[in-house]
Amino acid sequence: MIAEAGHYALVLALALALIQSTVPLLGARWGDHALMNVARSTALAQLLFVGASFAALTMLHVVSDFSVVNVFENSHSMKPLLYKITGVWGNHEGSMLLWVAILALFGGLVAAFGNNLPLSLRAHVLAVQGWIAAAFYLFILVTSNPFLRIASPPIEGRDLNPVLQDIGLAVHPPMLYLGYVGFSISFSFAVAALIEGRIDAAWARWVRPWTLVAWIFLTLGIAMGSYWAYYELGWGGWWFWDPVENASLMPWLAGTALLHSAVVMEKRNALKVWTILLSILTFSLSLLGTFLVRSGVLTSVHAFATDPSRGVFILLILCLFIGGSLLLYAWRASALKQGGLFAPISREGALVLNNLFLTTACATVFIGTLYPLALEVVTGEKISVGAPFFNLTFGPLFVPLMVAMPFAPLLAWKRGDLAGAAQRLMAAGIAALIAIAVLWAWTSGGATFAPLAIGLAVFVVAGALSDLAERTALFRAPLATAMARARGLPRATWGTAFAHAGVGIALIGIVCETTWNSEYIGSMKPNDVAKVAGYQLKLDGVTQRQGPNFREMIAQFTVSHDGETLQVMTPSKRNFTTRSSSTTEAALLTRGASQLYISLGDTNADGAIAVRIYHKPLVLLIWWGPVLMAFGGLLSLSDRRLRVGAPKPAKKSAKPARALQPAE
Amino acid sequence: MTRKQRRLTMIGGSLTVLAIAAALVLNAMRDSIVFFSTPTMAAEKQIPPGKRFRLGGLVQPGSLVRGDNLAVNFSVADGSATLPVSYKGILPDLFREGQGVIAEGTLDASGVFKADTVLAKHDETYMPKDVADALKKQGHWKDDYGAKPGAAAAAAPATGATR
Amino acid sequence: MTLWFVFALMTVAAIFAVLWPLSRGSSAQAGGSEAVVYRDQLAEIDRDVAAGLIGVSEAEAARVEIGRRLLAAAEGERDLPARSNLGLRRASAIGALVGLPIAAVTLYLSLGSPLLGDFPLAARTRTADANQPIDNMVAQVEAHLEKNPTDGRGWTVLAPVLARLGRYDDAVRAYRNAINYAGDGAERRSDLGEALAGAAGGVVTAEAKAEFERAVAQNADEPRANYFLGLAAEQDGRQANAAAIWRGMLAKAPADAPWRPLIEAALARVGGPAAPPLSSDAMAAAKDMNEDDRGTMIRGMVDRLATRLKQNGDDVEGWLRLMRAYMVMGERDKAASALTEARQAVASDAERLRQLNEGVKNLGLGG
Repeated sequence: MIAEAGHYALVLALALALIQSTVPLLGARWGDHALMNVARSTALAQLLFVGASFAALTMLHVVSDFSVVNVFENSHSMKPLLYKITGVWGNHEGSMLLWVAILALFGGLVAAFGNNLPLSLRAHVLAVQGWIAAAFYLFILVTSNPFLRIASPPIEGRDLNPVLQDIGLAVHPPMLYLGYVGFSISFSFAVAALIEGRIDAAWARWVRPWTLVAWIFLTLGIAMGSYWAYYELGWGGWWFWDPVENASLMPWLAGTALLHSAVVMEKRNALKVWTILLSILTFSLSLLGTFLVRSGVLTSVHAFATDPSRGVFILLILCLFIGGSLLLYAWRASALKQGGLFAPISREGALVLNNLFLTTACATVFIGTLYPLALEVVTGEKISVGAPFFNLTFGPLFVPLMVAMPFAPLLAWKRGDLAGAAQRLMAAGIAALIAIAVLWAWTSGGATFAPLAIGLAVFVVAGALSDLAERTALFRAPLATAMARARGLPRATWGTAFAHAGVGIALIGIVCETTWNSEYIGSMKPNDVAKVAGYQLKLDGVTQRQGPNFREMIAQFTVSHDGETLQVMTPSKRNFTTRSSSTTEAALLTRGASQLYISLGDTNADGAIAVRIYHKPLVLLIWWGPVLMAFGGLLSLSDRRLRVGAPKPAKKSAKPARALQPAE
Repeated sequence: MTRKQRRLTMIGGSLTVLAIAAALVLNAMRDSIVFFSTPTMAAEKQIPPGKRFRLGGLVQPGSLVRGDNLAVNFSVADGSATLPVSYKGILPDLFREGQGVIAEGTLDASGVFKADTVLAKHDETYMPKDVADALKKQGHWKDDYGAKPGAAAAAAPATGATR
Repeated sequence: MTLWFVFALMTVAAIFAVLWPLSRGSSAQAGGSEAVVYRDQLAEIDRDVAAGLIGVSEAEAARVEIGRRLLAAAEGERDLPARSNLGLRRASAIGALVGLPIAAVTLYLSLGSPLLGDFPLAARTRTADANQPIDNMVAQVEAHLEKNPTDGRGWTVLAPVLARLGRYDDAVRAYRNAINYAGDGAERRSDLGEALAGAAGGVVTAEAKAEFERAVAQNADEPRANYFLGLAAEQDGRQANAAAIWRGMLAKAPADAPWRPLIEAALARVGGPAAPPLSSDAMAAAKDMNEDDRGTMIRGMVDRLATRLKQNGDDVEGWLRLMRAYMVMGERDKAASALTEARQAVASDAERLRQLNEGVKNLGLGG
């Protein structure tokens, strides 16, 4: 009954989505408030039914109901409870259900907390959400239905792919989807504005919190996915320029650009047409990401669907939404009124520059990801575009971006003073030069590129700090005044500083990890000692252990540094009998922001194990950076400016508005 | 500046950045693209030693030889040709004889493929897509290929022989 | 029955979600407006000026700009009077009342299986799971051995069980431990080699081959090791070597060795002395075949042998090989009819008939 109720709830959600995508539009066309308000109740009801459907599937996985094909194929009765739950979205059908559930969640949030929106805009936005939702409900029900049944249920399930049985997977896809799908809101706002033929500065303020939410989740999702690959795949790499990773990076780049251009639009009523285009592109890239991952066109460890009918269906959805919205854009964009003026050297100008580089970088990633596909279709030749390509294109484009980054917040709107900004960045520049000089001397001319890159990163971080110092008059006024000013500073300013500093910190991590990474690869027997970066690692021995649904070979290493014993590390190799496959569980030892990393290889006939040991200096900064960026985004989201504009019926919406500000 | 001039500045700037990006992309395309090849294709095209490419195929059963200090030698076969591969390092978890594999590296003068990366990203039902396509094209694809090439025939007598 | 009740309840809830706003009419609140945003922007400029974040002249310029937007917004709102369209509302209401349930039920019935109940794990009988008791026992033994890893006898008992459960990698480890703690031996080396081959999916890897060679070094007649060495040769494409090894085994083997027919079948596969020689192409093809294809190929060879014997029935060895092949393939009837045919063919020659009858005794063909 659970399965069938979940199934029926999904069908009802489709029916509601169809109503939501038509009735409010008619209402807006005829100016009927009641019809427009249908959008709201149907969006909430849709959320309720998809939520019920998702809960039903989770329940089925938890009780191991193998009469459901999806559960049979991806679960196992012996699997720990946590992985029974995460297994719900560890497979194609379940993850698509999660996708639409999050879509409905965002729609429901707009419906519930969108009191500050004009009625017709809200009706249009929710109607566009309804189109997207209806298309994906159909996709799920027709080609990847998670509620299909087996009449005579098998005794045992086939288990989840062991690589995916990890806590990283529990949070990574939902985060990523919250990001991907969150951009559907800005897409819907853009399409709604095009349909209405009217767009103003207020529009940007209404869109910005949603874009920020999506951006925060996408940032965290990408960082988490990267960390997961780092410790679970056992290669010690954190970014592979894998098509699937690129698929999540592209919406992030476009979304970051959108976030910045929306600021210009909100403040200066300029860049309106461009912002609309970016909203459309960002969500299109999110859809493309879904398509690339789900269709199996590009294969990687994530590709659990290789069914062509699904690919064709998603391709149709893709063409419909991307093509349709771009057509609408081409048709209506010229009707939108031009906005405010600004000089090239100004805050607006700097943000345009930011947009230019971000979208260009996004385009190079796009080319690198899709060129092999296009070439294969045209000439049948197979090529792979790997890390070197992206390092050669993406890297150089990010350098000017990062050089310009500290200047932007210091420039005034409309007409800026570059020399003045440069003067105020003097301290940051000096800090960067010192960092370069010190590193140069320390590495005694080893790597020329690394000190420069770190200098740039220091410049970015120090630039963010000097922006704050400038605004609070930290070194010019007495401390008490500075503190008072700091308190009076808009949260968005703090958010900007944190997010920008995060970029610099991530860059430091990236450069240190790639330049000064040391490794040891060899086979070791008990009591052998390996020396890596001043650490001695002694292999004490190897033991066996039986886990819930796997067997594990655990090696124990004692780590010491300068004769002082630090800690015991236990990397292991797990054997999953059901899928007859194995996974490598790396052991990590964190010292400050640096890590020692051990992963195991095969055992030889003579009992020696292949061992891979890395010392990765400051590697954690790679992920602290994005966390800092997300924190900056959160601060920005909690800014009062994004809260107000709300609520005439103040008592009703005061609570909902706050619900969106977790940072408080 | 007039509105027109400002617009021209912006467009000019954008075009400059785009031109730089295009130059970067074309430059990178020339140097860092890696072609995919099966042993048969490698033999036909006569890839010169030192040119990087990706070699895909099945690990020839019985060809895996482990040497000292993590050196590994194996052959990659695609049904009509084989190519010896040497690699030093730890093979991925999913590396198995008889299963699909992709190795990246160069041929040396003696015709041995020196791999610096070995990928075996697949589970028991899934094979690297490039490899599967190439095998299908050559007509060597069977649905249970990766699973057990002749294993059932070989393993069944093994248990019957003594028990 | 409950299910249909739940369905009905859900449908009613969905219809209600559409009807509710329609019934409330225009009394519902009209939503926010742009003017609010601009008024707030003005307030924000005041705050910024107060905090000294922007200059007075900049603030004045910004105020003018925002003021202009405010005016435009107020104008835009005025020309949007609320209207109500009763006809459309009724149409939507009817659509929700009639269309929604019909569409939902139709789609659901074409996809769902409403008659199928739940089958949670807890409700299933555990007895059906025959593997469970063995798994438990194995887990116990493994736990014991973890604490006493030098218990060679324990490893010796555990290893074959693991191999039979298909946990070859564990079996390999167990056999290695058994050899370490319970002593080396040709049998154990063969076991280890077999487990290694099992782990490689039936392929005799170099590692497995090394174990079989160690076994043969300790006991040259160890049948399993010899068989697998032959198999290794066959998998490497050295059919002649494989045949030589197996023929050597048959020569030395006692006539009643239980594995005799097996080796003979294997020999038939690589092409025994009298079998029609295979082209090297066919050999290469056989190597890459799966089980079915290999079966077809063997069948082809057997059929060719049968045809040849029908034309020239003097070859007693040939007849015996044919019968053995049929027996190995589990076709007892064909073996029996081949025996009848063979007897007729050699009936005129007493010596050959005796040879035939002797051979048949070893086949266990009863008659």
